[in-house]
Amino acid sequence: MLSLLIFIPLIGSLGVVLLPASMKSRYKWITLICCSLELLLCGAAYSAFDPTQSGYQLLERADWITLPLGSLGVVSIDYLVGVDGISLPLVLLSGVVMLVGAVSSWKIDARQKAYHALYLLLTSTVIGCFVALDFFLFFLFFEFMLLPMYFLIGLWGGPRREYASIKFFLYTLAGSVLILLVMIGLYLSVMDPVETALRVGLIQDRSEATDEVIRQVQFLLSEYKIPSNLLVHTFDLRHMAKGGNYLPDSFLSVAGEVMLMGIPSRLLAFLCVFLGFAVKLPVVPLHTWLPDAHVEAPTPVSVVLAGVLLKIGGYGFLRIGWGLFPDGAAEYALLLAGLGVLSIVYGGFNALAQVDLKKMIAYSSVSHMGFVLLGIASLTSEGINGAVYQMASHGVLSAMLFLITGVIYDRTHDRRIDHYRGLAGAMPGYTALTAIAFFASLGLPGFSGFIGELFTLMGSFQSIWLPGWMTAVATLGIILAAAYFLWTLQRMFFGTLWFRPEAAGQLTDLDGRERLMLVPLAVLALLLGIFPNLLFDLTNSTVADWIQRFSIE
Amino acid sequence: MPDDNTVRNVLWLILLLPFVSGSLWLLAGRRANGPAGWAASGLTLVGLGFSVWVILLAGPETITLRTDWLALSGRSVPITFRVDTLTLLMLPLVHFIALLVQLFSISYLHDDRDRYRYFGFLGLFIGSMLGIVLAGNLLVMYVFWELVGLSSYLLIGFWYRKPEAAVAAKKAFIMNRIGDAGFLLGIFLLIFQSGTTELSELPALFLPEGPLATLTGFFLFCGCIGKSAQFPLSTWLPDAMEGPTPVSALIHAATMVAAGIFLLARIHFLLSPGALMIITGIGTITMLMAAYAALYQNDIKKVLAYSTVSQLGLMVVGMGTGNVPGALFHLTTHAFFKAGLFLASGVVIHGTNTQDMRLMGGLRKRMPVTFIGYAVCAAALAGVPLFSGFLSKEAVLTGAFDWAGRSGGPAFLIPVLALLSSGLTACYMARQTRMVFYGEYRNTAHPADHVHEGDFLLTGPVIVLAALSLGFTFSWNPFSAGHSWFANLFPLSGETGGHLWIALLSVAVVAGGVGLGWRMPEPAASTVWTRLSEQNWHLDEWYRRLIVRPFVRFARQCYRFDQLLIDRLVEWIGVGTVVLAHMVAWLDRTFVDGLVNGAAWLARRLGGLTRQVQNGRVQSYIVSAVVGLLLILWLLI
Repeated sequence: MLSLLIFIPLIGSLGVVLLPASMKSRYKWITLICCSLELLLCGAAYSAFDPTQSGYQLLERADWITLPLGSLGVVSIDYLVGVDGISLPLVLLSGVVMLVGAVSSWKIDARQKAYHALYLLLTSTVIGCFVALDFFLFFLFFEFMLLPMYFLIGLWGGPRREYASIKFFLYTLAGSVLILLVMIGLYLSVMDPVETALRVGLIQDRSEATDEVIRQVQFLLSEYKIPSNLLVHTFDLRHMAKGGNYLPDSFLSVAGEVMLMGIPSRLLAFLCVFLGFAVKLPVVPLHTWLPDAHVEAPTPVSVVLAGVLLKIGGYGFLRIGWGLFPDGAAEYALLLAGLGVLSIVYGGFNALAQVDLKKMIAYSSVSHMGFVLLGIASLTSEGINGAVYQMASHGVLSAMLFLITGVIYDRTHDRRIDHYRGLAGAMPGYTALTAIAFFASLGLPGFSGFIGELFTLMGSFQSIWLPGWMTAVATLGIILAAAYFLWTLQRMFFGTLWFRPEAAGQLTDLDGRERLMLVPLAVLALLLGIFPNLLFDLTNSTVADWIQRFSIE
Repeated sequence: MPDDNTVRNVLWLILLLPFVSGSLWLLAGRRANGPAGWAASGLTLVGLGFSVWVILLAGPETITLRTDWLALSGRSVPITFRVDTLTLLMLPLVHFIALLVQLFSISYLHDDRDRYRYFGFLGLFIGSMLGIVLAGNLLVMYVFWELVGLSSYLLIGFWYRKPEAAVAAKKAFIMNRIGDAGFLLGIFLLIFQSGTTELSELPALFLPEGPLATLTGFFLFCGCIGKSAQFPLSTWLPDAMEGPTPVSALIHAATMVAAGIFLLARIHFLLSPGALMIITGIGTITMLMAAYAALYQNDIKKVLAYSTVSQLGLMVVGMGTGNVPGALFHLTTHAFFKAGLFLASGVVIHGTNTQDMRLMGGLRKRMPVTFIGYAVCAAALAGVPLFSGFLSKEAVLTGAFDWAGRSGGPAFLIPVLALLSSGLTACYMARQTRMVFYGEYRNTAHPADHVHEGDFLLTGPVIVLAALSLGFTFSWNPFSAGHSWFANLFPLSGETGGHLWIALLSVAVVAGGVGLGWRMPEPAASTVWTRLSEQNWHLDEWYRRLIVRPFVRFARQCYRFDQLLIDRLVEWIGVGTVVLAHMVAWLDRTFVDGLVNGAAWLARRLGGLTRQVQNGRVQSYIVSAVVGLLLILWLLI
């Protein structure tokens, strides 16, 4: 089922490429149908998922590359996909946001073939990122995502699109180099206990691999009793998350004796992974690609960028940074939470200073993603559940916010806040939905943003790793959010109607298509705000299990 | 023992009814303009009926009802309803005043095109307010706390085309948000220490002693500072008068702003002596500052707004001095007479088309019914004997004097200042009554014969509220709060009601205040002192200078920093890389490539040299052979 999620858009993308240009009008339909199918499949995955289990579910596995390298052991790369309570909400979110983005792409008329092919490719890689359980596969999707994104911003973007797309590309690439290094280090340090048992001859078939066998292999490994040519190295994230599978003298061995530049190599590796994903989240001060990319990107790409792509940063933190290096996460909890708080407050202040609506929203994203980092860094159940919630919530709300910017930009090609006044008179429906999106984003109870912020803050306050004043500083973020959103609302929408003469006659209220995108998102935000268990039920047991490894410390 | 499920269902009904009613009007749009008012009032009446039913069902016991809301490993937050005497007081109170205000609004806004929005927002407000009243844990209360802030925002900004209204709405929400952020931290501190915010569990788990408890109490009190417009977050309430007048009556006088007092009553057992001290201090400051600010206002609603702030300060003082029943008593009487005053001022505004009291005068003859209602409520506010305000103020004052007696020495300052502020109250109310209803009509722009009395829907609620502001409504002995039915519900502390000298003293102060206010000359030119009052101690100016502007400036500097430093740094790294790449390319061309070329050159030269040797002449071959032979021989020997 998860493979279908990856391959349907890929096939759709191929289909768009192969269809002749005379069938241009069909491209967007293909995108729409593929994305609708995706959402349906997401729904199916949701119903097939058992939220009471904490492990990975809906696993699909295929041997991909197996290469014996003599004394260097055996390379094993699997095609391995599956979801747990942390990734499933994000897969569902992707399903929703990609569909909304597809509807929002309706008005793209330049180079439709390339656009829709790239958009579907992007969909595939995004989903792939969230379901891949093999580090190599994950990295492949992670890197491959940059390609469609680069072109989508670079070809269909605003006036400075080339600058923005190159900046985005290089920035993320620089981050992923660090991840790549760690991936190689991990690969060299981790064995696949099942495959190794097969090679050593403990078992004859994979199905015989009980916990007992795995413990035995791990014991042999720790006693140096497995010859290196029989060791099967792996990229499997499930194996990487277990300390017993680390080679005793390896670069990243859990004993943590290897030092590099004066600090233990595991901590260094954690920092590398953190930096790599911090670019994506983004964490201040690695955020400056974001406002540029958003301002230049066309509306649907902004929607996808803020709605889904940023979440890969947070997901990477959880799955790879915190998941594989709990020691590093605990060691640097204070620093990381500090960066989270910095993002919240700094992003908030920057948002307050903006005159461009889209840039304001971009900076508000920086601020809201800071809550994600703060929650994760707290290493508490509340904090991490809250962080996943905040990601899902921000996905829905930022999609809404960027669509709202798109509405006004489509009409007048002008996004300056001070070029409008009293829009409520001319566009009441638009105003109502904007007000809903703004209030939901500033964390009003009843909407999803509140739950995310409440629990990340509560987690950071309860955390034994973090001082209480940090939470106090972070609450400044919710005051700032009220200030910049309501100030914008007041300046653009209230007062007597006024706009620049060029905009005359263009300020029509929302059309059906725009309503079709915005209203369901608003309803979703409301549902998630009133029934938080919709999501917490999914994440809870995974997080509860996941948090264990930090309490052992 | 009442059946829990029945009570739970009825409570859910009470809570959801206004939300449903509100969303109905909002979704229906302009179509709902006609029926919304009457239908909404009808539903509020139903709600009132339900709350009476709950009172009958619940009786005097405290009931706590839980409904699961969300659960995480290690933390679950249920939606808890708490029904106790306080709930049973507030439920009908909110419903009742909401009902009167809705009826009033039908007439007041009869030609507004957006009535559906108005009644929609009002439904939202009533629901949120009931949520606060019913909440059995502080997290749920916080949820509704913020929703009340939202509905207040929406209703202040109801006439969004007025820029002042939009600004006032924003200001109200942000100032409330500041208080709410503190409240949230208080909740976190509470969870940190006790692991819960359930009001039913906290008494056993939380010990209100020590600095941490004081900090907790202070942060929880921040919620009250925001909602009840206490100093230093007091400036939003006067601005909130930009909203429609019935809204001011319901939200910004009777209910929402009283939520802070309600909160203090709910959490009073959590407050440490230190926290109570802070609360008393802030209440006193608020009470005095606002009372003075009301003195020279010329806008009819502004006077009432400042008076509301001041009365809320008095209630906070009551809470701070440990006199919960007294403060709640004042909350109740205040809800009636202040709502009455606002509604009456609404009739006046409706009739005269202005809010400026300098343009009114002599309305006593033209609007007799309103005048009577207004006068009764004003007398209650001023604390004139035989009216409700006298009783409740006396209850608060007595509590304060008792408290001062226990604390001794400088603590007496507090009740004395409270007396002073009640003198000021009498003074500005007398001035207002005189300016509006006595003397000659002064507005030339709006001829006197256009001034008209309100219709029945307008005056009816005023009269009802006035009737409820009479002393007899509360106590058969209009000089003793101790004999009121209220004292049966909430036993007033100690010897309250026993000190005749306090009653006499306060009567004297009120009489003095009224006399002063009646004769108070209008200042010909503005002086430092009148400006201090008119501008509310220049608080807004100071906030603009010290907080708002520096904040915005700081935000802009952050952005400049972001652009000029962080982003520039990134760019420099980019540019640096490109420059480096060019340098490497040059190195590559000159040296690496040069080395290769050099090697080729060297090989060629060497080749040239050796080629010269092999020139094909036999003689030179023989010479070289001989020289070579000799060399070998020499080397060997």
